Amino acid sequence: MNKRLITGAFALLMPVMAWAGEYDLTVDRVTIDTGDFKKQGIGYNGASPGPVLKFKEGEDVVINVTNNLDEMTSIHWHGLILPFEQDGVPGISFPGIAPGETFTYRFPIVQAGTYWFHSHSGFQEPNGAYGAIVIEPEGREPFRYDRDYVVQLTDKHPHSGDRIMRNLKMSADYYNRQQQTVGDFFDESGEKGFVATLRDRMMWGDMRMMKADIEDVQGFTGLINGKGPEQNWTGLFKPGERVRLRFINSSAMTYFDIRIPGLKMTVVQADGNNVRPVSVDEFRIGVAETYDVIVHIRDEEAYTIFAESMGRSGYARGTLAPSEGMVAAVPELRDAPMLTMADMAGHMDHGDMDHGSMNHGAMNDDTMDHSAMNQESMNQGDMDHSAHGGGMPEDPFYASGSGLLPTASNGGKFLSYADLRAQSPLFEEREPTREIEMRLTGNMERYEWSINGIKYEDADPIVLQYGERVRFKFVNETMMTHPMHLHGMWSILDVGAGKWNPIKHVISVAPATTVYMETEVDAPGEWAFHCHLSYHAASGMFRKIVVEGGPDSSVAEGEQSGKQGGES
Amino acid sequence: MTVTKFMVTAAAMSLSAAAFGAGAHGHGHGNGAVTGEPADASEATRTVAVAMYDNYYEPEIIEVQKGEVVRFVVENHGQLVHEFNIGTPDMHEAHQAEMSMMVEHGVIQGGKINHDMMAMDMGDGHSMKHDDPNSVLLEPGQSQELIWRFSSDTNIEFACNVPGHYQAGMYGDVTIK
Repeated sequence: MNKRLITGAFALLMPVMAWAGEYDLTVDRVTIDTGDFKKQGIGYNGASPGPVLKFKEGEDVVINVTNNLDEMTSIHWHGLILPFEQDGVPGISFPGIAPGETFTYRFPIVQAGTYWFHSHSGFQEPNGAYGAIVIEPEGREPFRYDRDYVVQLTDKHPHSGDRIMRNLKMSADYYNRQQQTVGDFFDESGEKGFVATLRDRMMWGDMRMMKADIEDVQGFTGLINGKGPEQNWTGLFKPGERVRLRFINSSAMTYFDIRIPGLKMTVVQADGNNVRPVSVDEFRIGVAETYDVIVHIRDEEAYTIFAESMGRSGYARGTLAPSEGMVAAVPELRDAPMLTMADMAGHMDHGDMDHGSMNHGAMNDDTMDHSAMNQESMNQGDMDHSAHGGGMPEDPFYASGSGLLPTASNGGKFLSYADLRAQSPLFEEREPTREIEMRLTGNMERYEWSINGIKYEDADPIVLQYGERVRFKFVNETMMTHPMHLHGMWSILDVGAGKWNPIKHVISVAPATTVYMETEVDAPGEWAFHCHLSYHAASGMFRKIVVEGGPDSSVAEGEQSGKQGGES
Repeated sequence: MTVTKFMVTAAAMSLSAAAFGAGAHGHGHGNGAVTGEPADASEATRTVAVAMYDNYYEPEIIEVQKGEVVRFVVENHGQLVHEFNIGTPDMHEAHQAEMSMMVEHGVIQGGKINHDMMAMDMGDGHSMKHDDPNSVLLEPGQSQELIWRFSSDTNIEFACNVPGHYQAGMYGDVTIK
């Protein structure tokens, strides 16, 4: 990366002038070596991942992006608040960057924190086109650390993105190594009784989903800052130091459960926004999310950063060490969680469910009426938690009894969305002007993903009015977890904390749960809104958002024109 | 809303388990002699203003002479409850367990201190009162004095032990000459 300071010469003379940095990025064919395999891919300035772009809040940036590929490209600045023409989504923000062309992005930096950038064209991002962004705040950070590292994760696959998409379309379970086999079926039949198993199996068929769909693209090598587990990315520290780790999940498809055995991690930022610090033993990072944690290392020991994929089909590994070459033990992968019928049961009437025994065979056909599921979607407010008896408290962000609730490997604290509180509220709290329901839907057998049953290519844009505050209701009717990403405007995650609700750019919605977020519609233009799993977005779980009006036009509250986006 | 209800349930469940833990409160502070002792305002040779923000102090380093009595005027400029506690790192760590319990029991709720809950009898005559002489616990906007004699030159930090705050860096160093 080549940074030129335009104002450098004038800085002494004109101290009040805005800081303006100019940056050059080239988009190049590169070779990616994971330690397990070498693969041709796409990178920035000759490498994948690309450079860490370091900006300062209040700076006006100029970024020259030169496309050295023989195909169109683009860069999306993930999580940055900027004019929509600078957002980098071909077909929505701009036409894209043609081969051989240089496109110049110009926008002010109006925020601080950890973010990232990636191509929004085809499958260039899974093929390696991503990098990190670190923005220094104007004032001081509300926490202290001696040094910081970007820890950027990805799930590098030996197949190209195009090939993976083709294979998934041909056979949705192409990369699913944990699905049940005929052998499993008969084994299970012996235990549970043939009829019960058959009924179980038929129900899954009705839902067009298969068991163990937690990860639908397996066979990857987890990378940290471009290095595979054997290549062991290492961050150095001096004993006694506090180290800030800026975790970014740039995976195409993979959620990671992250821990550093022997160290507590204090989460201080989520998706670039400061949160009230919470100390945890382990946390889950959804695709495209970021979490900043601070660790205090007192002794002269090495510590393993261990990131297991949510479906336990792979992992990324790095090390924090007092000197190069020191390593710590690498844990074994834990067993994969298995989705159960109870996941979908979360969508049904709790009154009919026996949570105590979770006896799936005992469910009668009336309770499994799939046509009723949409209406009966889980209402967390009505859940009677006391009915679950003793043991672990429930987490409202996972369907109860689903088997998906993560637990820390050491029995300690696992971060939940329910723990997140804004450190300092960004917006005034107010009633939303309306609610838009987005059912996250899919046909797993055909590998079609959609919103409210409609694919992107068949859908009308969602039209919002500048100045309104929209409450989005996500109802996940699939068996997969979807990280929903709204461009250009903040997603205020409803954790029931009013004005302290955390501000994010990705909202992860677990199977059979309902999650709410609110958005202050404060950015005119056209924006993308999609599941950030690459192959879900590409197969239709995507919408265009059109924000009508702007700061100069007066829009009466509650009065909307144009097509509404709810679609239902 | 939904989550609130969930948290109330969770808090209620942990209440019974915490009763024995309450006994620990008070012990963590008893060894104030390690770092010094409370003193009278008339003995103070100078005043140090300490501003508490979310979640850091200004200043972050305080220099004192061994044996000096300092009058701290501590003010909470943040939106959350904060503590100013003089102790060794070990004392702070012990106190953090107590403060976690105070949060779990709703004694500290973001920007509020629930004084009724704090005074509640936890059994065996213990309560979650936060009345140790080496510490002040303040709601947003509140201010309080703490007068302390630094009679020892051990490794002393001032720290906020509200869960997560110390770990995120809400501490400062006392250098004793």
